[in-house]
Amino acid sequence: MAPAVLLVVAFLLAPFVWTIYRSFFSDSRTSPFSWFDNYSRFASDPALTRSVQNTLMWVVGTVLLPFVLGLAIACMTNATRWSRAARLCVVLPYALSGAAVAVVWNFMLTTDGAVNQVLTNLHLGSLAHGWLLTWPGNTIVMILANAWQATGVAVILFLVGLQSIPPETLEAGALDGAGSWQQFRHIVLPQLRPVSIIVIGMSLVNGLKSFDLIWVLTQGGPGRATETLAVSMYNETFLELRPGVGAAIAVVLTVIVLAASWLYLRRQLDVKGE
Amino acid sequence: MPLGRVLRNGTVVVLAVLWLVPTWLLVVNALVPAGDYSGSPHWLPGHVGLFGNMSQAWDKANLGPAFGNSALYATVSAVAAVVVATGAAFATVIMPVKRRVLWFWVIYSGTLLPLQVFIRPLFVSYARSSLYDTQIGLVLIYTAIAVPFAFFVMRNYALTLPREVVEAARMDGASWWRVFWQIHVPLTRSAMIAVFVFQFVAVWNDLMFGITLTTSRNIRPVMAALADLQGNYSNVGPPVVLAGALLVSVPTLVLFVSAQRYFVSSLKIHQ
Repeated sequence: MAPAVLLVVAFLLAPFVWTIYRSFFSDSRTSPFSWFDNYSRFASDPALTRSVQNTLMWVVGTVLLPFVLGLAIACMTNATRWSRAARLCVVLPYALSGAAVAVVWNFMLTTDGAVNQVLTNLHLGSLAHGWLLTWPGNTIVMILANAWQATGVAVILFLVGLQSIPPETLEAGALDGAGSWQQFRHIVLPQLRPVSIIVIGMSLVNGLKSFDLIWVLTQGGPGRATETLAVSMYNETFLELRPGVGAAIAVVLTVIVLAASWLYLRRQLDVKGE
Repeated sequence: MPLGRVLRNGTVVVLAVLWLVPTWLLVVNALVPAGDYSGSPHWLPGHVGLFGNMSQAWDKANLGPAFGNSALYATVSAVAAVVVATGAAFATVIMPVKRRVLWFWVIYSGTLLPLQVFIRPLFVSYARSSLYDTQIGLVLIYTAIAVPFAFFVMRNYALTLPREVVEAARMDGASWWRVFWQIHVPLTRSAMIAVFVFQFVAVWNDLMFGITLTTSRNIRPVMAALADLQGNYSNVGPPVVLAGALLVSVPTLVLFVSAQRYFVSSLKIHQ
């Protein structure tokens, strides 16, 4: 146990405390104590306001899309054999890294990329544009790209959940004359509740932490239009060289992530270990 | 066929095709010889230049050394994290330790915090302590990052084991050390493999620590190298970049397909 505690304390908890501490000092050369000045930039700096907006969009997108699509695909492919192949198509991108996903989607979305090519060939050339260049379109297409990757894990989890539903409950429902929608609504869905909470919790936290995809696709740009809090923190700290502001963003992000984690931790944790 | 089923099958096919398009384009265009690329995406495979592209990516972006580095980081960190976490789980669940709840939270809290909170203090102290831009530095941080979640899983698994075996062994005079290696580790092996797979993929796919804590090409992990290659997109051309992306994904794809059973079980332990 000692090595685990040592590693975690030295490499994770100590930096965490230091970041909180740092967030209260300003970024001028002598770095005097500055109370909540760094935090007040959330109200005054338009780049940070945009970053908060983007983060909200990411959270909504990464929770809704993989959940709905994952549930739909898992239910639709659970019954038939041939649809295993279809399911594989959806699950496969999950094995790619965020950076690789970014490379693929850059290829799709650049000005002479695949999406614009398809649109032009369909005589919809007027719709073709630089997808990553204007807000809020660029954030939305990146959320879609993220859903392309993240739906796979939701499908797997929902399948595991579906397979643990005792078939007797469905048979009983059918005997009582429930239609397939009623079966789904009143028998399947309630029994998927635990899995749903895990999927939502995971997507929520991943959405809040999303960094790789944005960093490789746009580096938060153009300007700073596509930054999320995770990217803003990195930008402020390492590119704008304002570690105090960066630390404040990190602390805010932490508070949000902890609050979000609580959603699924509450039922997941059995801390006493009895 | 009833309308409902037609509708359902239709939807499945459409979704599958939609999902397949980016993957398909990735493979097809990674196959196009870099010199032949005409400026717009290809939809059908033609001449095969995949290995030429891959070797160009391997050289240009220095994916070669990065590949070796990431293999080292991912393997060593994942193994170390699994062993350390299993030990910690053994200590907090099986051994009579005081303040279990406190120790649990001390270790587990690491996985709740976003990585952004650690990165600058780590950067500063790495720069001061000459761990910056070294392989040992990266292995250390990757292990530290992996331990909390691995511990969480191993602990949940340890809670399901029967206590009687351990108690019997203790009665027979076995030391805790022996109980751990000869009874606990064999019993938890499947969970250990699942955690290893999970953490290997996590380290392999990491980008942020790679770009922050390293600069030189022979230290950098593979995703940082790929990000660099992407930065040269217009110079090297799409086929080479895509071939690079494909190349760095091969290990996780292989692991994903071959260890699917463990993958699914590692996801299940989430619950």
